[in-house]
Amino acid sequence: MRVLWSWLVELCDLDRQPTPAEGAAALTRAGIEIEGIEDLGKGFAGVVVAEVVAKRPHPSADKLTLVDVITERGGSATQVVCGASNVPAPGRKVLWAQIGAHLPGGITLAAKPVKGIVSPGMLCAEDELGLSQDHAGIVVLAESDPTPLGAPAQQALGLNDHVLEVSPPANRGDVLGHLGVARELCAMLGGRVVMPDADLSAFGGAAGPHDVDIAIDSPDACARYVGGVVAGVRVRPSPARIAQRLRAVGVRAISSLVDVTNYVMFELGQPLHAFDADTIKSAIRVGFAGDGDRFQTLDGITRMLGGNDLLIKDGGTPIALAGVMGGAATEVTDRTTRVLLESACFQALLVRRTAKRLNLPSEASLRFGRGVDPELAGFAWRRAAALMCRIGRDAGDSPSVANSPRDAYPGKRAIAAIHVRLSRVQRITGVALDAAACTNALERLGCAVQASGDALAVTPPSARADLTREVDMIEEVIRVHGYEHVPSTLPALREAPGVADADRADAARRALAAAGASEAITYGFQSAERAGALGLPGTDRRSQPIAIKNPMSGEQAVMRTSLLPNLGAAIARNQSHGRPDVCIFEVGSVFLRRGEGMTERPMHELADEPVWAAGVLAGKRPGRIGDGPAWDVFDAKALALEAIRAVAGPLDVRTLVAAVPYLHPGVAGALEIDGDDGRSIVGWFGELHPGVRARLGITGAAFAFEVALDALPLAPPAAMHAIAKYPGSDRDVSLLLAEEIPAARVQQVIADSNEPLVAGVRLLEDYRDAKLGAGNKSMLWSIAYRSPERTLTVAEVDHAHETIVRHLVEQLPAQQR
Amino acid sequence: MTTSEIISSLEKLEAQFAAAIAPLGDEQAIRAAQAQYLGKSGHVSELMKELRTLPAADKPVVGAAANKVKQTIEQLVAQALDALANAVAKADLSRRIDVTLPASPVGGGHLHLLTQVRLEAVQIFAELGFVVAEGPQIETDWHNFEALGIPKHHPARDMQDTFFIADEILLRSHTSPVQVRTMQTQQPPIRIVAPGHVYRRDDDPTHSPMFTQLEGLAVDTDISFGDLKGTLLHFVKRFFKRDLGLRLRPSYFQFTEPSAEVDMQCTFCGGPGCRLCKQTGWLEIGGSGMVDPVVFEHVGIDPERYTGFAFGMGLERMAMLRHAVNDIKYYYEGDIRFLEQF
Repeated sequence: MRVLWSWLVELCDLDRQPTPAEGAAALTRAGIEIEGIEDLGKGFAGVVVAEVVAKRPHPSADKLTLVDVITERGGSATQVVCGASNVPAPGRKVLWAQIGAHLPGGITLAAKPVKGIVSPGMLCAEDELGLSQDHAGIVVLAESDPTPLGAPAQQALGLNDHVLEVSPPANRGDVLGHLGVARELCAMLGGRVVMPDADLSAFGGAAGPHDVDIAIDSPDACARYVGGVVAGVRVRPSPARIAQRLRAVGVRAISSLVDVTNYVMFELGQPLHAFDADTIKSAIRVGFAGDGDRFQTLDGITRMLGGNDLLIKDGGTPIALAGVMGGAATEVTDRTTRVLLESACFQALLVRRTAKRLNLPSEASLRFGRGVDPELAGFAWRRAAALMCRIGRDAGDSPSVANSPRDAYPGKRAIAAIHVRLSRVQRITGVALDAAACTNALERLGCAVQASGDALAVTPPSARADLTREVDMIEEVIRVHGYEHVPSTLPALREAPGVADADRADAARRALAAAGASEAITYGFQSAERAGALGLPGTDRRSQPIAIKNPMSGEQAVMRTSLLPNLGAAIARNQSHGRPDVCIFEVGSVFLRRGEGMTERPMHELADEPVWAAGVLAGKRPGRIGDGPAWDVFDAKALALEAIRAVAGPLDVRTLVAAVPYLHPGVAGALEIDGDDGRSIVGWFGELHPGVRARLGITGAAFAFEVALDALPLAPPAAMHAIAKYPGSDRDVSLLLAEEIPAARVQQVIADSNEPLVAGVRLLEDYRDAKLGAGNKSMLWSIAYRSPERTLTVAEVDHAHETIVRHLVEQLPAQQR
Repeated sequence: MTTSEIISSLEKLEAQFAAAIAPLGDEQAIRAAQAQYLGKSGHVSELMKELRTLPAADKPVVGAAANKVKQTIEQLVAQALDALANAVAKADLSRRIDVTLPASPVGGGHLHLLTQVRLEAVQIFAELGFVVAEGPQIETDWHNFEALGIPKHHPARDMQDTFFIADEILLRSHTSPVQVRTMQTQQPPIRIVAPGHVYRRDDDPTHSPMFTQLEGLAVDTDISFGDLKGTLLHFVKRFFKRDLGLRLRPSYFQFTEPSAEVDMQCTFCGGPGCRLCKQTGWLEIGGSGMVDPVVFEHVGIDPERYTGFAFGMGLERMAMLRHAVNDIKYYYEGDIRFLEQF
């Protein structure tokens, strides 16, 4: 909201006039956010008020006029060339941009010849000063304008002023007018609010012609409705002061009657509406619309209404959407001479809903939507009526108005006092404030305070509907006292409860980063297309993602059920930016429907949000000179094992050859552990399926892994194994075996031999060669034998090794080479 | 052979050996040459076989001569090996490698900037006894709004702000529901920080539809607004590693009262005002306040017995301020050119 500084201070009685910056600082301390301070007059400089003393046509151009102006009474005249058609008669004042003047757009004036006659500057139109787009003619000040000659143009234009961009908190509807801001400023600086003039005594007329009957159907919907007729007025241009102020707060002046309603709204925060009283046939009735009713608002659009839309009716006919917009049929026009002025208090929620549903946000609905002070409605009515009458009288009309308007006030409430304990003030704020300090702070805000023992009985002003509880008052006390005066302390250290599980995800993150992968964080949602990139069968829970009802775009259609699509898309994106060699991972939640997945079933419960670690690798490893070797499936496997180890410690992980829909059918493995409930698969790795790659836009081979971190047992603190005291012996065995027998099978046979002396198994060679025969491969394994108790004899080692070799030959089967 | 012939032969062997090993350049050859002269069937042993043919009186003389030859040969071997070792050492020290060649690629992985910032923030609060708490990202309306005193018709709940899954299920729009869940399951004293992803329908250079908040909550018999101020001041100084000022500015949040915006001194200009802080000298970093009694009532904590503070801040913003990240979208694109910088 734009707050004009001169208007604001006019409503304040302060010991010392603050500067706009000081005022802004005080309001900021009060919690009224100031988003900016605008110096209204800084758009131009060097433009002065000058009086026309003579004018004559330019000798060589029809449309130009030579104008003699003076800038001091009795001073010598200067001749200026002017192209406007509205150069006034001598005696009127204009705005002269002299040589050296700065105008908007970076223009600096210099003396220059216009059709052969040198003009020392120019006489300005509104657009040349950045006031408006108006270039119809030069600015001519009103005959009565009091600005002295030679004064800066800013003074005549009301631009010797500042605007504060004020953003009050959401619960402070009372600050949406200059009056409310003035209250805050006075509370912070220690002053008193001065109410503007609302004296109607000069215009009092007989009650009859100025009266209108008011009936309120639902007091909950409309707490108060003040209405009455201002007669004998006419639509006129608003006085400069009102027009300038409205322009400063961002509203264009239209005509005196409508401008006054706006002016008073910005001044007091109370929206008003003016009807042409002659269009009203019977009485005002405030009530709800019927479903399907239609109503033409004053923008000419016919609106479809519902049972929750509050209306102002003329008898039974809608004439306004309460607090939102008036109707076309009762609008004030050039012919209006009698205005029915409305000052009401409508329920905030109703106005907000109707304005939102009809997409009709306005200055009025904004204020009603935040709640207005019902006690203010009567004063606001008189203030507006007084302004209308004064403007009319000054223009020669004979305005009249009822001494007091009709005032239907079914929602009048007594404001209850709130009990505020001084002990509570100290406990919450941490500051010991005595009764006098608290009372002072609250009284500055307009509260009535009565001390009673160790507590205060506080009655808030009617404008502050937000103050209903003890804690509300405590906030007010500490706010006025100043947050900056609260000393900083630290809470006492307390014993912490058990450690959170977050360590699981961070352990995996640290291990994966240490292993050479870079962490990405991607959105929890994605497009349906990307979610489908894995090509999961309908029986897979992950193929039924949770949909978002109100996405901003298709990129936010569904929640992810796997980390891989976003990571794969990131690989493609990096490739397109010239970075084909990437190894990235993410650790985060995926989102799964509880129970069997049925996309059509509405969700009534939370989702499962298991945490996974996943990664995608493509291109080459970093090399020292030139590229390193390409990432391969065993790098993906290594990262998966690192993530498992980081969480679960050095437990046995078995690799199974697996069929995974989104991995290459010949290059995919599952990782299995022995959990508390038997064997369980905790992750997969492999080469991304070419179809998945294509759907995600990845060029060339890419490898992936994923590990269900929640499925892993948490590693207990590792206990040290004894360091071997006695030397061991290694024996190698070279095997010729069928290609399809996996390495894991060889390891399994060795493990199943249950030879107690086996201390380790290593694969030394794995190769295929035509000489071995088609479908065959050769593997060279090294088995370490060791006893913790003694040095083994050759015979013992040989016996153990021969047993294992026999098992391998028989069970794989294989030949020993 | 006569005694003198044998002695003369022994002396010749000495000279012959010296000549034989002179050109040898490795230890194995030198040892082989030594064996050729001093071994069981070496030249010296062969000559000594003649010893038995000599008169007894001459044997000690020849024996002494043979010993001398053995010693000389052993000395020559030792000298040769020594020289060889010196030569090897010298040769080794003459090696030259261009150490300005690129380093080997090790590690190469990076934790995401937001992870680093989160871990650091959590660590700083851990110093004050705060532990990490977590909650679901898909939340109930009650936890996200109702329990925090945000009624159904409040503008903050408008469809344009919050992503909904179903009527009563949504993507949490802040981490505050973790406060609610913690207080529902745990009686005070409570000291938690809750980092996590939150979702809002916002998308521009400083707003992302998903972002990361860090929520803090302390509930105890004696928590005051001053404690809130001190805790946040501690965090700002430790996180930015500078003695930056902190300002609490009155504000309004439904679930705290008194409420405060948290401003810190501008990290760029330090106070006089610049473009980053919009000439105010202050940067807004989060919201905070004393837990509203309404929230305590919703979760079954006696507001007369306990007081508490809560705060929330955006980790993206903290990282932006400390690391000059100029567009929030970089955090979520998985662009390796961004990830590898931190």
